[in-house]
Amino acid sequence: MIHTFDPTSPPIDDAALAALIQPTKLHRSVYIDEQIFELEMARIWGQAWIFIGHESQVKNHGDFYTTHINHRVPVILVRDRSGAVHVLHNRCAHKGAKLVDTVDGNARAFRCCYHGWTFNTDGTLLKIPNEAGYEGTGFDPKDPQNNLQKVRSASYRGFVFATLSDTIVELNEWLGGAAEVFDNLCDRAPEGEVEVAGGVLRYQHDCNWKLFLENLNDTMHPMVTHQSVVQAAEDYIATLPPEASSQRAEAEIIPPFGASYENFEDSGITGFAYGHHYDGGKTSIHANYSVNPDYWAAMVASYGEQRSREILAFNTHNTLYYPSLTIKSAVQNIRVVRPIAVDKCIIETWSFRLKGAPDEMLQRTLLYSRLINSSASMVGPDDLEAYSRIQDGLQSTGSDWVEMHRHYNRDKQLADRTVGGGTSDLDMRTQYQAWQAYMGKLAHHIPTGGDSDE
Amino acid sequence: MSDSVDLRAIEHFLYDEANLLDNPDLDRWIELYSEDGSYWMPVIPNQPDPLNHVSIFYDDRVMMEVRRRNFVHPRAASKDHSVRASHIIGNVRCSGRNQQGDLVVTSNFQCVLYYRREQRLYAGTYLHHLIATDNSFKIRHKKVQLINCDAPHKSLTIYL
Repeated sequence: MIHTFDPTSPPIDDAALAALIQPTKLHRSVYIDEQIFELEMARIWGQAWIFIGHESQVKNHGDFYTTHINHRVPVILVRDRSGAVHVLHNRCAHKGAKLVDTVDGNARAFRCCYHGWTFNTDGTLLKIPNEAGYEGTGFDPKDPQNNLQKVRSASYRGFVFATLSDTIVELNEWLGGAAEVFDNLCDRAPEGEVEVAGGVLRYQHDCNWKLFLENLNDTMHPMVTHQSVVQAAEDYIATLPPEASSQRAEAEIIPPFGASYENFEDSGITGFAYGHHYDGGKTSIHANYSVNPDYWAAMVASYGEQRSREILAFNTHNTLYYPSLTIKSAVQNIRVVRPIAVDKCIIETWSFRLKGAPDEMLQRTLLYSRLINSSASMVGPDDLEAYSRIQDGLQSTGSDWVEMHRHYNRDKQLADRTVGGGTSDLDMRTQYQAWQAYMGKLAHHIPTGGDSDE
Repeated sequence: MSDSVDLRAIEHFLYDEANLLDNPDLDRWIELYSEDGSYWMPVIPNQPDPLNHVSIFYDDRVMMEVRRRNFVHPRAASKDHSVRASHIIGNVRCSGRNQQGDLVVTSNFQCVLYYRREQRLYAGTYLHHLIATDNSFKIRHKKVQLINCDAPHKSLTIYL
């Protein structure tokens, strides 16, 4: 299905782009116009720090993992002989073939399938077969252009990001105050580190990538969209003897999706520069999970009782690092976003082991990932149904606008962040200020989110 | 394989089970499972277990009961679209009994599924652990190994 908004329209100029985002409403073309999608890939996904993978996915020399930066640019995450982790363009320096076409593995060197050019795991050129033919041609095997090209990359507590931009601020500055949720995720490990464990779920979403992002802190939908699974679970749990239902982690995980508007309001939303935001903090729908006694003992042994309480009391729901990554520190899973087309994206769910925690903690994380984020769960498909219907509904010419007024003018500006009530559209406004800045090529200055129309 | 196993009866049982998923009747489908029954769809080939690795499905009777209620809930928007399936099962083999005494049955399946204005094809291998009862079987465990288990999947609102 082709969703071209208006194929006869001329290229969109920057003024027209800027006019698509108003303080409290968005033009529908940001979701359905293919030209805008391509501009997003160049200006948002081509400038922002994009999540690539976690260092624990490439533990040993030669371990690699492949992905894309945006819908096209293929890259390799790899650990070299010295232990350094690189993000390399997945393109042979010779004729351009994709060098690695498997998702992950281990390689002593990368050898091209076409003419056998071979590269070290740090990307440097190792060997060209029958090299004599280049003598006297002006070809210089020492020219760095003949290496696999490095993508600018950096990591925060093991989470590796890369950017196609030379000018975007350093990763730490880009993460800003929102990095506190990465800290909380890692601090929840008795050893202070997490590692990828238990595999990945890949879920095809037939909708624009932004519709997935906008749902993360949309706290006005759970009690509507997830009413069915909450009622189904509560109805059946009510028939079980209490000693049976209290043993079920599902009974802690599913019902909070039906929490009241007041509960979600209390959880609050916090917006940051560059479009990042989270909901929760003091409380969230994950706040009342029981604490595994062996886990608690390991935490206290590492951090002491007071610090352990502080770590577990910081309880966020979803944190978005705009535009490619959302994490749940309280659950220890993440979702990775990859746009494919204007109406298609892939959402990957990865789970993490808290180093030093008992196996039951990872098992609960994996249960959560399956129960909530699997393509066969009873939660994700109802969310996706809504996104798909928006994708279809916005083809309507009945109105050009999508609204985001909730709590407008009530957001509170703090030094490095904007805070508001949990049912605010502050998250939407935060995202679209970043959208507007990236699309206007002003990525060096993206203000803290909120309701100022700066 | 034990001579006393009636492969024909097993095949009929598998066809009956598939029929309850073709025109979904989860109330009767669940009744085919033992009280400790489980349904597993791994997300990788050769996945060793459902607890220390994520899966597409891993339901016990409790989660089947929740799913059965959700499946017909009027406010489950993803279920506004009816789902219709057509299963073909073949290559049915019984390799004997496991330590629990259950019959271990493998088969190949193809399932054409129609959902949300689109037809899809699923294929793979079933593994059934069956408890022989007086005149039929109960399913203690069913594993659905899709050939494309690790691919990106669209929403799947029904057991395969």
